[in-house]
Amino acid sequence: MSNDRTKKIGVIINGEERTLTVHPADTLLDTLRAASYISVKYGCGTGDCGACTVLLDGEPVHSCQMRAIEAEGREVFTVEGLAPFPARGVDDLHPIQRAFVETGAIQCGYCTPAQMLSAKALLDRNPDPTREEIGEALSGVLCRCTGYVKIIQAVERAAALMRGETVEPFRHLEATLGDDESPQAVLGEFYAVPGDGLHPRTTLVISPPEMEPLQAVGQSSVKVDGVKLAAGRRAFADDVKMERMLYGALLISPHAHARIRSIDASEARVLEGVHAVLTHEDIPRVKYASGGQSYPQPPPFDQVCLDNKVRHVGDRVAVVAAETPRLAQRALRLIQVEYEVLPHVLDGEEAREHGAPLIHEEPDTEGIYDRDRNIVHHIEAGEGDPEAAWGRADHVFEREYRTSQQQQAHIEPHVCITYWDEDGRLVVRTSTQVPFHIRRMLAPLVGLPEKDIRVIKPRIGGGFGNKQEMILEDLCAHLTLATGRPVRMEYTRHQEFTSSRSRHPTVQRYRMGVTDDMDVVATELDLLGDTGAYGTHGLTVNMVAGQKGLTLYNTPYSAFRCDVVYTNKPVPGAFRGYGAMQTMFGVETLMSEIAEEMGWDVVEFKRRNWIKEGEELLMAKALGEGREGFEQSIHSNGLETCVEVGLKAIGWYGKRGQLNENPVGPIRRGIGMSVMGHGSGIAGLDMAAATIKMNDDGSFNLLIGATDIGTGSDTILAQIAAEELGVPVNDMIVYSSDTDFTPFDKGAYASSTTYISGGAVRKAAARVANEIKVHAATMLGVNLQEGGEASDGGIGLEDVMLRDRSVWFPDGRSVTLEEVALSSLHQQNQHQIVASASNMSYESPPPFGAQFVELTVDTETGEVRVERVLMTVDAGRVINPITASGQVEGGIAQGLGFALCEEMVYDDDGRLVNPRLGPYHIYKADEMPEIEVIFVQTDEPTGPFGAKSVAELPIDGVAPAVADAIHDATGLWLREVPFTPERVWRALREAD
Amino acid sequence: MNERVAAEVFTVAADASLQSVLNDPSSPPPVRRALSGIHSLQLRNETIVGRTLRASRLGPQWIAALLALGAGVTLDRDDGSQDVALDALIRKEEGGAVAALHIPILDADSAWGEAHVARTPSDMPIVAAFAVVRMDGETVQSARVALTGVWSEAVRLARAPDVLVGGPLDEERIREVAVTVEGEVEPVGDYVGSEAYRRAMAGVVTRRALKACLEQEEADE
Repeated sequence: MSNDRTKKIGVIINGEERTLTVHPADTLLDTLRAASYISVKYGCGTGDCGACTVLLDGEPVHSCQMRAIEAEGREVFTVEGLAPFPARGVDDLHPIQRAFVETGAIQCGYCTPAQMLSAKALLDRNPDPTREEIGEALSGVLCRCTGYVKIIQAVERAAALMRGETVEPFRHLEATLGDDESPQAVLGEFYAVPGDGLHPRTTLVISPPEMEPLQAVGQSSVKVDGVKLAAGRRAFADDVKMERMLYGALLISPHAHARIRSIDASEARVLEGVHAVLTHEDIPRVKYASGGQSYPQPPPFDQVCLDNKVRHVGDRVAVVAAETPRLAQRALRLIQVEYEVLPHVLDGEEAREHGAPLIHEEPDTEGIYDRDRNIVHHIEAGEGDPEAAWGRADHVFEREYRTSQQQQAHIEPHVCITYWDEDGRLVVRTSTQVPFHIRRMLAPLVGLPEKDIRVIKPRIGGGFGNKQEMILEDLCAHLTLATGRPVRMEYTRHQEFTSSRSRHPTVQRYRMGVTDDMDVVATELDLLGDTGAYGTHGLTVNMVAGQKGLTLYNTPYSAFRCDVVYTNKPVPGAFRGYGAMQTMFGVETLMSEIAEEMGWDVVEFKRRNWIKEGEELLMAKALGEGREGFEQSIHSNGLETCVEVGLKAIGWYGKRGQLNENPVGPIRRGIGMSVMGHGSGIAGLDMAAATIKMNDDGSFNLLIGATDIGTGSDTILAQIAAEELGVPVNDMIVYSSDTDFTPFDKGAYASSTTYISGGAVRKAAARVANEIKVHAATMLGVNLQEGGEASDGGIGLEDVMLRDRSVWFPDGRSVTLEEVALSSLHQQNQHQIVASASNMSYESPPPFGAQFVELTVDTETGEVRVERVLMTVDAGRVINPITASGQVEGGIAQGLGFALCEEMVYDDDGRLVNPRLGPYHIYKADEMPEIEVIFVQTDEPTGPFGAKSVAELPIDGVAPAVADAIHDATGLWLREVPFTPERVWRALREAD
Repeated sequence: MNERVAAEVFTVAADASLQSVLNDPSSPPPVRRALSGIHSLQLRNETIVGRTLRASRLGPQWIAALLALGAGVTLDRDDGSQDVALDALIRKEEGGAVAALHIPILDADSAWGEAHVARTPSDMPIVAAFAVVRMDGETVQSARVALTGVWSEAVRLARAPDVLVGGPLDEERIREVAVTVEGEVEPVGDYVGSEAYRRAMAGVVTRRALKACLEQEEADE
């Protein structure tokens, strides 16, 4: 559209003179992205996250906070200017980019360009910065994935490279135990004085003596997508612009609870450049649940795309599609909505009182347990004999714990583009963790057969569960249906807080019976889970909360009672930890409290009772995820070793209870610990598939539906395939994921990808390997018996090895994979070597871990300062120690936020008072404590190459370890997170 | 851009960026503390001094440091330019376009201190105090404490430290001032700190900031 307020400005971008046409209101961010500098990212629009950072005359600024016209005549630098296009490998990259790739500093990669530019500005003026200076320089760019550990290491490495120094390959440290060697003994190699705080600057992996090293698995390979992310390429959902694309925008409710009496959109509809305005009157009323879960989704289906009632501030009211984002916003302001404001309820306990405001009275929502009391689900489950158990108990402890509503705060917002393709099929390019679920769930909402929908998952800029949900896809699709044109929708950061998902707040009442011999004999958990205005993940999160919270100590008698209630709050959903981290806080703190009250050593008390190898998970069958589960038992458990190694490395017994013997001033020191277990996928439900296709040159395409949301799963799945096929990881070309071209995968959630998707990849690779062996045998005239090991001295499949890109026969002869590929495709017994495989499991083997925290408490102010976090992890065999430790570090950072500061807070009217990343506050680079990660490998017999999961476990134990350490410092038990200064201060005052 | 116009005053143009103030070696230590501890580098680069003086919520700790130092501003008005105390501008007793900021340089007889309370080390403080005390021998010549987070406005000078003037600076008198400050402030509670918490913290940070001044004085002796 013409606009006579636009003007042309001259800007030097990456050394090139450019003339740009800008409107006075255009931000520099929008202008740069429109001019194809797409490495510059939108994260918040308020200058809080720093993802939009560019260098203006060499200095970092938020491009979202600057008008483009302010850049006139000035030099702008973006990541596109760091390395010439196309950088094809790390050697083509700028040293900063190279260092980010090599150190594993890139997880989702969305904030990476901003981090690298901040690093460049620092290194340009200070070639040899300290860690503190690096942290300060990076503190304006938030990262939700990494915990900043490897980003800071990357800047240190980049500085060395730019000074011309030679750097060693960045990899993990290894220690393989001798037959009679204890894991603690090997620590001396890496910890000069265990417990003194000096620790190795990289991940330590301790392996049992019987564990054979492998070729690709277990290596710290750089990420397969590292170069493209470091180069700032078009990887993310919003990095493409379709011809004639419209911009969608969502009108949200200002009220916590209201009926929509009328909507007058006539003024918006006639606005030039507005192509559609949709309200509940324009879209068929089809009931659904937005949680991206396997078929059949758990009830209730209590949502419709647009409703005539709003149930929380931020709920959907109307959508528009217009030629520009600004016009779309203007159209939203022209929509007149008449609300009948209804009484609302924000507190979960009040919501289930008789007479509380009724949130879901609509008759077409089925499956609500007690509609009149807003109880959407009631769960009861138990195992064992309560009378006998309580009869054995010499002591009974009852405690209540409360957890808050935490926001995922991924830096890339929800964003989606929908369009009709040339065959009249609807294409959905979306930042989702669950592309296949989205396709299935979307079809009935838009009235299309599933086969006419294609979902493309590009690179994801972080999700942490919040993108395991259909948030924008249905609305965007409706706008494309209404206009016939491509439509792009993106949440604002404010909408991420009010209108996406978050963590379920809980109230947990534990009752635990113990004997004088330190045996836990009975545990009951009454849980109140607040699912906000809609059910979505309410059933499954809270079932997992019960299952995990009662399984770590696997008490002979366990009982779970749970109400999941509606309130008029923005909707909780899936979030890393998924109920388990809430109840881990409860049960671990309770165990510590009991040990203290009984005068027992807390480690010994936990050790005596935690679940052991060979034990059956008593609650696993009763509490599946949204349905009955399956009987499971523990096949691998490294928890004992994790704890022993952790105690030694942190110097526990020289510190616990001894840090305040001569206190001076208001500061008290404390050390605390927790143990934890999680799961690896959903037993009996999660399924993944993989396809591997051989190319002419002996390389392979790995096609997976698994969704790498920054975890590094594309890389570790490539490593699994490479191991099986005897090739370097870079011979695997990974494509993920597209519902048209990749096989099914349930998606990235439930810590399932390594275990479930990895199992599928390994099976597919094994099938391809067998095909290769058979064809190679044909080429060499070898009579291969295909049944495995051959009898009578013949040659079987097991006797033929794939390694070093070749097929090796027992007699020493070999053919290269390239020769096999060329032969099979062009010459002999011609066929495509390709295989697919599926994988599911009736087991969900728990990874285990122990976390140790050292902190200070200011007894005058209540401030808690965590100084050191050590985590020892049993994730089975670790496929890639660098990406895995990145998961641990990032999980710890999120756990620290949960423990200390993060909380969605509402005013009396149900409006969020802190819906911005600044006031909400997630941890920054310059305030992270020391983080150490030690893997204690075990061999999980049901996992690919012995692997279990790692992604969610690290968030589970931070809060209870912090609570334990606060107690060590002050003698106080805090039972509500986050432990804000005021909560700690009040507890201290009450104790005086 | 930034100019040390006299031995005792560091003058900053209103259109200077906060980062340029931080980078300037003449910038007084309390100002450097306030700027480096609170804003991100990006914000410091893109925020100009004059804007923060008109909207102190953009950088309350920085304004607190300036108030404690007794900074002044040059205002351009229709009737010409005039130098006034920054405190008067902040309290809206004076108005006009800010042309320059004048920050007194700490002399050998002065000491300063800062204290704050926050959820995490780099979070925006819930309550913060900057104190500057000027001594004449053993006697307090002036004492200014500016506090954030304890008034309806973002930052203000407390009156209580005035009682220190004319007497010695010691722990007992500092404690008395801290108690008086708790009664003087009028906090508005919010999600990071209730009214009661902020009031109590006003006393704590005042005491700590003044104690830092005392320790500097004692170290200098």
